[in-house]
Amino acid sequence: MGPKTFRNWRICSLSKVPDDRVRIAVTGIGVASGLGYGKAAFLQGLFEALGVFSELTRHGREPAGGESPFVGVELDEPPNVLPARLARTATLSSRVAMAVLQEAWQDAGLDQVDPERIGLVVGSSNPMSREQALAAQRYADKLEFVPPRHGHMFLSSDIAGLCSSVLPIRGFSQSVDAASASGSVAVIQAMDAVRSGRVDVCIALGALQDLSGYDLHAMRSLGVMGGADHAARPGEACRPMDLAHNGFIYGEASAALVLMRKDLSMSHNSYGDLIGAGHIADGSRGPEPNSEGQVRAALNALAQAGLTAKQIDFVNGHATGTPQGDFEECRTYHSLELHHARINATKSIVGHGMSAAGALELAAVLLQIKEGRLHPTRNLENPIDESFDWVKAEPVSHEIRHALKFSFGFGGINTALVIAAP
Amino acid sequence: MGSPLDNTEIINILIEEIRETVPELEGQPISASDSMVDLGVNSIERSEVILAAMERLDLKIPMVQLHGPKNIQELADLLLVKSAG
Repeated sequence: MGPKTFRNWRICSLSKVPDDRVRIAVTGIGVASGLGYGKAAFLQGLFEALGVFSELTRHGREPAGGESPFVGVELDEPPNVLPARLARTATLSSRVAMAVLQEAWQDAGLDQVDPERIGLVVGSSNPMSREQALAAQRYADKLEFVPPRHGHMFLSSDIAGLCSSVLPIRGFSQSVDAASASGSVAVIQAMDAVRSGRVDVCIALGALQDLSGYDLHAMRSLGVMGGADHAARPGEACRPMDLAHNGFIYGEASAALVLMRKDLSMSHNSYGDLIGAGHIADGSRGPEPNSEGQVRAALNALAQAGLTAKQIDFVNGHATGTPQGDFEECRTYHSLELHHARINATKSIVGHGMSAAGALELAAVLLQIKEGRLHPTRNLENPIDESFDWVKAEPVSHEIRHALKFSFGFGGINTALVIAAP
Repeated sequence: MGSPLDNTEIINILIEEIRETVPELEGQPISASDSMVDLGVNSIERSEVILAAMERLDLKIPMVQLHGPKNIQELADLLLVKSAG
């Protein structure tokens, strides 16, 4: 039996274009990556394609005996934005979230907004795994002494809880999990919250996914994480869309974006407008990518934006550097006929931010719109498909009018966002 | 523990753990007659302090048996009594 199309179903409808009178501007950005904290370091590092990969040394990421060390990107200690009393009860993911939120908050001038009209959606997936594993080891044979704070600080919801206890966010707060698409799904949920009128401003935050040694071993075993042969040359391990790719390389990251109703944002600096979003399930359970699902997400996003793929002039890929994922994503570019668009891959410079990736890379798209330049794709020496207009080793000037941003996650999650210059 | 516990040792450990839990008390004197509530320690932090102190003292006393003391001195007294069985 062949695959069913929509029209085989007795109950079906093609997804409708929603009421687009509520256009959404991004008026604040905060970022953390291996390039540093803040937009200035991020932009400079992206355009210079700085090399930030090295052996992972954070406690709890030691490889099994005899195995090669893990390669990736680790953050510097976040700036102190929390009182010491709170900081000691907050995980690394939460402290970094507060740093990027604070930057985005000030950027957007949110002190002027009624707190009850501000929402927060945190995209996270198993965010405090490393610290929780260390705590479980420390108290393994003396559970009676487990500190009470451990009853809440390892919940993904603690990030939103901490953020809204420090800053006046009183509309709503929640966390959403969509694996490596969590950051993007947080943006889409935030778009919906603004469009529906639930709030006027909604912050989407991609949380740092603090992988443990256990997680890293599992990802390596699963065959999706690369770098095992690159301990001596960590800077060459991460190579999305290059023939020598052999898996994604982890990079700690976090980002916050302030989404605001366009009609209320006139007095604010705007980086760009979010005009279309697609978020679909393709029916996969594990890590396998699915081009048909990716295409469907893109077509939904384009339909919502009222555009065709021909009008997209810049694509920022999900592009992790796993062979199967990269090939499948190129199939998607072919199906959408994106040969005319410039394409780059932010993960080539900062690594795979996992649950933060979608938010961090959307920030990269918006900052590239503002700069009128596209950042290089590091290590893209021999593209797996020469028929596309890749941005390779050098940055290029490019006035972006309409960008398409992909993010995918384990569990058959495919998202696409269409972004317009302000 | 190598030697039998005494009150002073327990008091000192409790005060160290209060300072660890509420770093903002740095520079402010804390004495055995102070109560944690008056020092601004909240109820979750009070449990943190007591559990961390018990871990250092290798005492295993259910928290429900540690309600009632009005200050650090009384809490130390109670811990000492309970540790003796």
